[in-house]
Amino acid sequence: MRQRSLIAITAALAAGALTLTACGSRDSGDKKDSGEGGGTTVVIGVDVPLTGDLSAMGLGIKNSADLAANNANKQKLVKGVNFKIEALDDQAQPSAGQQNASKFVSEKEVLGVVGPLNSSVAESMQKVFDDAKLVQVSPANTGPALTQGPDWQTKKVRGYKSYFRTATTDAIQGPFAAQYVFNEAKKKKVFVIDDKKTYGSGLAATFTDEFKKLGGKVVGTEHINPDAKDFSAVATKVKNSGAEVVYYGGEYPQAGPLSKQIKAAGAKIPLVGGDGIKDDTFMKLAGSEATGDLATSVGAPVEDLPSAKQFVADYKAAGYKEEYSAYGGYAYDSAWAVIEAVKKVVDANGGELPSDARAKITEAMQGVSFDGVTGKVSFDEFGDATNKQLTVYAVKNGAWVPVKSGTYSG
Amino acid sequence: MSGIGPLEPGEGTRAWDGHPQQEPRPAGRTRTALAAWYGRHRRITLALLAVAVVLAGGGYLYATRPQQPPPHPDRPRAETPYPVQVVDVTYLDGRTTPAGAPPRSFSFAVLLSVTSGPPVTVTRVTQPYAGLSLVTEPQVPFLTKAGSAHKITITMHVTKCGKAPRNAALPFLDVTLRNARAMQVQSFILGPRYARHLSQALEVACSNGSG
Repeated sequence: MRQRSLIAITAALAAGALTLTACGSRDSGDKKDSGEGGGTTVVIGVDVPLTGDLSAMGLGIKNSADLAANNANKQKLVKGVNFKIEALDDQAQPSAGQQNASKFVSEKEVLGVVGPLNSSVAESMQKVFDDAKLVQVSPANTGPALTQGPDWQTKKVRGYKSYFRTATTDAIQGPFAAQYVFNEAKKKKVFVIDDKKTYGSGLAATFTDEFKKLGGKVVGTEHINPDAKDFSAVATKVKNSGAEVVYYGGEYPQAGPLSKQIKAAGAKIPLVGGDGIKDDTFMKLAGSEATGDLATSVGAPVEDLPSAKQFVADYKAAGYKEEYSAYGGYAYDSAWAVIEAVKKVVDANGGELPSDARAKITEAMQGVSFDGVTGKVSFDEFGDATNKQLTVYAVKNGAWVPVKSGTYSG
Repeated sequence: MSGIGPLEPGEGTRAWDGHPQQEPRPAGRTRTALAAWYGRHRRITLALLAVAVVLAGGGYLYATRPQQPPPHPDRPRAETPYPVQVVDVTYLDGRTTPAGAPPRSFSFAVLLSVTSGPPVTVTRVTQPYAGLSLVTEPQVPFLTKAGSAHKITITMHVTKCGKAPRNAALPFLDVTLRNARAMQVQSFILGPRYARHLSQALEVACSNGSG
């Protein structure tokens, strides 16, 4: 009995030791990284709507910029520099955006800013940043005037050398939508509605211009109040106009109810919009009759890009509560562009940030070039993205499904 | 602190006196003692040996097991890119219209290049406007390898002037591409130079009011 016990104890101890050894060897290859780059802290400001109707897009931008900063720290991309983000809420309001811009300028550690979401907010921030030579990279602004000046259709003039963007402009998005609606959807009569804001009215204008040039007819126009929820009067006008399609320049909080009310008024015609309506919230607001509605979006579908798969996996692994939304990939690339510019400046200055770091980083941004989440990231002489891809999405079974994609190579 | 205190005995240090060093046991005596112990605890010894053999064998098998990378469902493998992600099409310039082309035709050249991945075959080139048709030289299908480019001459024929856009700002070509991954149709928006060429050519082709 005693001998048997001894054998059992010996075997158990040996097996336990072996198990512990095995566990130990497996753990050794899976060390956690603290994500700290150490040394100097560089803050990347993020200005987006974190609250309100457009917060779904804003939070996706904030999280994606955060992911880029964390990845740069883990990779120790810039030796001696630890990146972190500071996010401020502009509530999609130009005045709040301008205040946030001033706050970022006043903070010495802020060496670059990602945002904003809205072109109208960007207009209020540009001069503040440019005066301080603080670089700004928007993942979502599509208004052409931001980079090419107010007379961009006749004479392109860059107003602010500190402003860059990774998104494609409405100068391409609007006409691309017009081409699709006229040539492929075969709709020849359109009713055009916008929300009077910089983005919405600008996009509606570029769509209308191209639609007319192709031979299409605008059978009615209306402007809505972005604060309104009842669009029944406009819906009735659409119904009576005989339009085959509605083009809406604006964002999903209004586009969803507008689509629903137009159908309810008896006009069973598709509503078409830009990247501002391409969010899943649109479907929730528009209801089941949104099937067939269309949206263009700047960039290729992130899910289809091999370059984006790592981003999608990392975003999921990071456990952010909100989706990365329409601009997540572009926000990651915008933040990464700031990081690359910081790297250039640090490398050129013997491994340290120079005293005029902001000016040097703004200058370096013009030459930044890397393979990003959304493809090759670099900027032209106006600060616009050189990678100009567009996609037309249609609502199908309650989801946005890509139906056409294009590349601008002019 | 300064000064030298008592030195600690180092590893292997022995006292010079005190306990006399025991004489090492001769090998024969050790063997005899082990044999005696084995005789008294034969079953335990055999059992311990068996356990040691089993553990050593198991350890060897574990240590030499086939090494497979741990599954990372979130970490995608490198995949063949979609054709549209590796193809660029740019407008070059106007070209002389081939002699055999029908009246109201005009020509221009584009450059199609493949940046990476497997070869890409162009299976179709079209344009979206009613009132226009086109042919390409070389004729489709043709294959382009990564790192190379094809100059394509496109000759457009105006079939109905009323249905051809005289002043489109962003006209494009639809190109059907196929590689090992997928077949896709991509619109290539060739920019303002192409837009101007198209407008001028249509103006000339349709200037007599025909069509």
